[in-house]
Amino acid sequence: MTSRTVFFNIVRFFFLILLQVLILNHVNLGGYVNPLFYVYFILLLPFSVSRGIMLISSFLLGLGVDIFTNTIGLNAASCVIMAFARPFVINSISSGPETLIGDTPSLKNQGIKWFLYYTIILVLIHHTSLFFLEIFRFIEFFKTLLRIGLSSAFTITLILISEYVFIFRQK
Amino acid sequence: MRNLFIFLREQYFYFLFLILELASLILFFNYNDFQGSSLFNVANAFSGSVNNVFNGISEYFTLKKTNRVLIEEMAKLHSRIPEAFYRSDQNVFYKKDTVVRLEYKYISAKVISNSTNKRNNFLMINKGALHGIENHMGVIIGNKLVGQVVGVSPHFSWIMSMLNKDSHVSGKFKKNDQLVNVEWPGGNYRKGQVREIPKHIVMVRGDTIITSGNSNIFPEGLLIGTIDDFSIAPDENFNTGRILFSTDFNSLGYVEVVVDLMRKEKEELKKSFKSE
Repeated sequence: MTSRTVFFNIVRFFFLILLQVLILNHVNLGGYVNPLFYVYFILLLPFSVSRGIMLISSFLLGLGVDIFTNTIGLNAASCVIMAFARPFVINSISSGPETLIGDTPSLKNQGIKWFLYYTIILVLIHHTSLFFLEIFRFIEFFKTLLRIGLSSAFTITLILISEYVFIFRQK
Repeated sequence: MRNLFIFLREQYFYFLFLILELASLILFFNYNDFQGSSLFNVANAFSGSVNNVFNGISEYFTLKKTNRVLIEEMAKLHSRIPEAFYRSDQNVFYKKDTVVRLEYKYISAKVISNSTNKRNNFLMINKGALHGIENHMGVIIGNKLVGQVVGVSPHFSWIMSMLNKDSHVSGKFKKNDQLVNVEWPGGNYRKGQVREIPKHIVMVRGDTIITSGNSNIFPEGLLIGTIDDFSIAPDENFNTGRILFSTDFNSLGYVEVVVDLMRKEKEELKKSFKSE
């Protein structure tokens, strides 16, 4: 892990938190969709980062977003679950160590199929845990599922868009 | 010990996850009112039911002490408001019997002394002559029979309950109005005895026995009990049966005294016939 990637990650950390709380938290389409773009940070953590650092940094990421939305612990818990699941997801969708070229998971390096699986699974895990914790009952079960589905779709769309933007920028 | 550390270091990912997740959940439940109170409710319901069960068992061990404390408290309170003990309520009910135009007055009273385990059982109630109670008045609870008044003092009355050697109640079968005599042979305070049942009556277990109205102590139609058992004696003229009393004499709290307002008229009539 070069100091360059560390630097980029730190910048990404703060940038995504601010982007989320200042702009995206006010995006509320139809009352069902809450885009949670900041999880992009967890998706872009380098492969070589130690698991402990990954867990702690996701915890802090979630906590940072929480502080602004006055729901302490909600996002932190979901981010920790997502970070916990990340190594297992990576292991199960990678057909071998050759797919893990480059240090950072990205659309360019791993290909659209791998990246799509990776994003969809992890974002779904995060959103499911978040929305169920938030509502904390089973009454509006299908409405919650709808919320999870729509918000995940929106988040994944935003993530893919930004990936494509970065590919074009590098070219 | 060293193996434990090695284990921790090798599995540190899982432990760290657990720690961080627990930390965030603790923050979550503490800070957010709805989830916190939800969790509190669930935890409370669970611990509440466990405590309930345990309490239900353990309170038996302190019953004696609880009783003593309660009785002392009651005595203290009673001596503080002595007029409550003697005050009689004005609960008087009139019943109009539309066919015969007989009027009954009911006076409610509290049972202050009772027994069910002697051969002759009596009750004492906290109303007496000053409240309008006289000898030979019937005592009931709701629509069930209790006994009759055998002694009256200004503030109290002495009542012979049905659980008494000398108690004879004139009853009848509800289903066919056949007259019978109800007594108590002693023993079980729930079971009485029905005597002088004519042979031609078919008895079925569960038949209701009610007051016949022939005596002027009780109005007609009060529940005495239900047939529990019967024996057919082939060489006698009558059958006997056991009945289960409708009244639970052990749990009498309040009773009502039946005042027959036309009793004097009936007794005058009887007397006038006898003297001739």
